[in-house]
Amino acid sequence: MKSAISRRRLLGTSAALTFTTALLPRLALGSAPISVGSLTPNTGGGGPFGPNITAAHKLVAEMANAKGGVLGREIALHQENSETNPETAIRAARKLVDVNKVIGVLGTWSSSVTLGIMPLCQEANVIQMCTSSSANIPLKDKKGLVFNFMVLSPIWGDALADLALRRGYKTYSVMALNNDFTKSMVDTFVDKVKAGGAKVSNDPFYYNGGQSSYRAEVSKLIADEPEAVFIPSYVTDFTSVYKELFRQGYEGKVITVSISTGSKFKKVVGAAADGILHGLPAPSLASAAYKDYLKFAGLKDTGAIQHPFGTAGHDQMSVLLLAMASAGTDDVAKVREHIHKISNGPGTAVTNVLDGLAALEAGEEINFSGASSDVDFKSPSGVLKSRDFVLWEIKDGKDVVIETIASAS
Amino acid sequence: MLSYLISMTTFVGFFMILALALNLQWGMTGMVNFGIAGFYALGAYTSGLLTVEAGWPFLFGVAAAAVVGLVFGVALSYLSVRLRDDFLAIVTLGFAELVRLFALNEDWLTRGPRGLPIDVRPLSGVFDRDGYAIFYLGIVASAVLIAFLVNERIRRSPYGRAAKAIREDDVVAEVLGKNVLRIRIQIFGLGALYMAVAGALYAHYTQNISPDHFTPVVAIFIWMSVIAGGAGNNKGLLLGAGLVMMFLEGSRFLGEFISFMDAEKASAIRIILIGVLLILVIRFRPQGLMPEERFKGPSEI
Repeated sequence: MKSAISRRRLLGTSAALTFTTALLPRLALGSAPISVGSLTPNTGGGGPFGPNITAAHKLVAEMANAKGGVLGREIALHQENSETNPETAIRAARKLVDVNKVIGVLGTWSSSVTLGIMPLCQEANVIQMCTSSSANIPLKDKKGLVFNFMVLSPIWGDALADLALRRGYKTYSVMALNNDFTKSMVDTFVDKVKAGGAKVSNDPFYYNGGQSSYRAEVSKLIADEPEAVFIPSYVTDFTSVYKELFRQGYEGKVITVSISTGSKFKKVVGAAADGILHGLPAPSLASAAYKDYLKFAGLKDTGAIQHPFGTAGHDQMSVLLLAMASAGTDDVAKVREHIHKISNGPGTAVTNVLDGLAALEAGEEINFSGASSDVDFKSPSGVLKSRDFVLWEIKDGKDVVIETIASAS
Repeated sequence: MLSYLISMTTFVGFFMILALALNLQWGMTGMVNFGIAGFYALGAYTSGLLTVEAGWPFLFGVAAAAVVGLVFGVALSYLSVRLRDDFLAIVTLGFAELVRLFALNEDWLTRGPRGLPIDVRPLSGVFDRDGYAIFYLGIVASAVLIAFLVNERIRRSPYGRAAKAIREDDVVAEVLGKNVLRIRIQIFGLGALYMAVAGALYAHYTQNISPDHFTPVVAIFIWMSVIAGGAGNNKGLLLGAGLVMMFLEGSRFLGEFISFMDAEKASAIRIILIGVLLILVIRFRPQGLMPEERFKGPSEI
């Protein structure tokens, strides 16, 4: 039988395809710009946050380009979607590193993605900037190329326990979504609460995400009628977990992380969400950098915290560009050193990329403070020194700030 | 660009081995396997853990993955021997989730969601970065070639014709004296072995695996490859695997031209495009790009 695809047609098609793929990157490149990669979770578990990070990266790059770029070269931003899935993210990162020849991959959010692309980035000598809380990230970063704009999850556990203890709850029960982010958070929360004289009434356990019902887990959690429950999670599972808590008539306090209780959660759950306590490392509302960010992003100052991860995206791109300008080169080893230099100071305090570039041009040394935090790293590692940690309570469908503490990491 | 193409070709290689495995199980014998990710994960974790924790060399790790894949493949097909079509699909899908949840929860063994870093690679340190990429592609390409030759040998043999007879109607095959149970178990086991080897090669290539790498979406890509390439045709599905990867990855380059669309929308368009293409293939060419070659009887020779 004759095959419907002739050899001639197959050859013709493959030649055409080879030609097009070979041509594409040439068309995309201009005259020696500096390539920067952005790999954000635009869909999947990080979907609520990724687009903000993408937009922030683009915003900062455009601001710098409008002023003639960095080192007299244009910033070419290449953006990819990680789909919050390491399997896809690895291939996207391959494209950024091998085709676009980026100096850094910015914006990874989930720890599994950050860790998944790390062997590749380390091998190719590419800087990574992320907001991932896994305590494993600094351990595996052998070359000191990973800069984390989020504090590690043990710090979350510590801060949340601190805030909970101050509210005077004496008995707690703990369960958590089974992922890298929650594991070390639970351990530190439990230790701190016990040290503070309160009791953890259950044996903390982990549940698997993506279930249609969490009935058994919730029954087990509230069996001893604790005064408060602590449930670090993602919004995708917390919505179902909370429905079950409500259905089973639990009357104690629910404590969780703010990424589980975004605006969509409050909309879906309605009045039943009132009373939930939640916390997150957050930008300081009073900081000049945060106000700058709102202005640049075209947002109104509502008094509530907006774009908790978009602000970090802004800081990532700003730090990278300023470090290159300060180093006077795009050589990774030098840029890495200057990231520490311009974020930790000493020097003129700057809060955005334009002021920073102008100050560097004037020959000054700078100390960058970002919209998400002060962006001070514990040299020589890329671990943040501290971030403000905010505890909110949901009242009438709105987040009301209860307390803010500076967490030291 | 060259190193990117090499690395994408390596990924296509993993897809090809998986597609060849599915072709044995489904394309030739008619056993629906949605549990590809399960065997893939099994191989990845077996080789990863043995090389990292027990210090085994790369080749032993891959060989152990093959054995574990075979054992689980045989066991699963034996357990589900009375199931066909949709019911087998459900069991295999369940198996894949079982493996993934085991890897996620038994973190004393697999390090759970934190992921398992694997720094063991064959002959690392001999080549530079680009040279190594070509070397590893060579390893994967050899595995594809071996799997392809074995598949072709089976397809042309009386054994392969018996498998196809089972696919078309197992009762007729049984009546004709073929040992349906044995052939099914053997073919399923061999396919599982391929998948586990692919998993092991993938693990040592990416050097960091976590349960998130082995979600059921992997199975969907492989099914797309086999359907687009042509079920039952070993050459066709190699083409299919290449095409699926080309659409998955090649469409990334579209974003650079669609400047009126922000990155978020462009990435959504990509995923929609892939779906549309699959629908078009199934609508206009359900037999795949290269349909199965018909068996030539003696009169045609």
